[in-house]
Amino acid sequence: MDIQTLSSIKSKFVARQVAEELVIVPLSGNVAQMNELFTLNETGKFIWENISVDKTTTQISALMTEEFDIDEQTAQQDVEIFLSQMDILNKYNK
Amino acid sequence: MNQFGFEFKIAIAEVVLHVFSKKTIELEAGYVPFLVDSSATAEIEVECFQGLPEVDFEALKLLFEAKNDEQRFYTIYEASGGYCFVLFDQNQKGIIQQIAYLNASFDYWKIYSRNAMALKYPMGPIIMHYLTLFTDAVLMHASCAFDGKKGRMFSGFSGAGKSTISMIWANAGSQIINDDRLVIRKMNGQFFVYNTPMYYVDISKKAPLNAIYLISHFPENKAKKLSGALAVSKVMAFCIQNNFDKSFINKRLEFFSDLCSVTPIYELGFVPDESVVSYIAENEKQG
Repeated sequence: MDIQTLSSIKSKFVARQVAEELVIVPLSGNVAQMNELFTLNETGKFIWENISVDKTTTQISALMTEEFDIDEQTAQQDVEIFLSQMDILNKYNK
Repeated sequence: MNQFGFEFKIAIAEVVLHVFSKKTIELEAGYVPFLVDSSATAEIEVECFQGLPEVDFEALKLLFEAKNDEQRFYTIYEASGGYCFVLFDQNQKGIIQQIAYLNASFDYWKIYSRNAMALKYPMGPIIMHYLTLFTDAVLMHASCAFDGKKGRMFSGFSGAGKSTISMIWANAGSQIINDDRLVIRKMNGQFFVYNTPMYYVDISKKAPLNAIYLISHFPENKAKKLSGALAVSKVMAFCIQNNFDKSFINKRLEFFSDLCSVTPIYELGFVPDESVVSYIAENEKQG
């Protein structure tokens, strides 16, 4: 999933921080969706919170290098892995 | 079926509902043990009418539909700053059974029914669900066993063994609060479990909530403690809710975060025999 798509569907979820992590709950009329809530670790939480329509993967990677003790290549890989994992949310892109 | 004249009060999870009508109300037998004295202070008013009003549904904003591939159970619309519920008869496709209105503060219902059975299923569980939004509570698909000291909740998907494990604990001498649907409510800083009126008759029960087990059948008894966001998400998955509103979900997330911060949460694979009782007791001792 690309950043623009994820940014456009973020409003269909409710997120809450628990310790350093994030619980993500789909905002949906279908009660069964409650089986589809998921969690993000500290890195995932940081990326999720920084996803917006005007940001690029490079910009988010740069922010990650400032927040965490990682190099730019690792940060770029983390963002790409995160976005590919978010493909499971494609069904909310309607 | 029981006829209760024009008004009565019932208490669910210690929240008193005042149910009243200008006509006789018939009550399913499962509600009878939950009746309380008329002097109890009601927090929620439930005004009942016989006959369905004319409603222009096209003019209302659709919020939620509870349905499967075969039939609709109920539909929720936005109406006059609150909610309008349309409930369908489960035996006659497409026939409206009740139309109900709930105000935005969740404390005043107006229920219009085809007949005198104002709380006929699924009206009752819907009222219970919105009762949990009115107070600090949640409605769960779960069973709970109380051994006189500890209340243990067991939750899981259909077929995971909620009733089986309840039976095992009952045989070991525990009281079963219920084996299918429960309210968890926070009262004076502590979490308690309550049963709710069912289609069968059972007395009103309450137990402290000391541990939650997310169960599945397994070749051996094996428990794994969960914490943090994972515990919150796994427990919340078994909450009965209409999650069409961000404020509802936020309230639930806040409740479950609080609950999981003070209550041990375990994933439990179990063998369906009495060995699971001693395994759990031993596992809890070890923390």
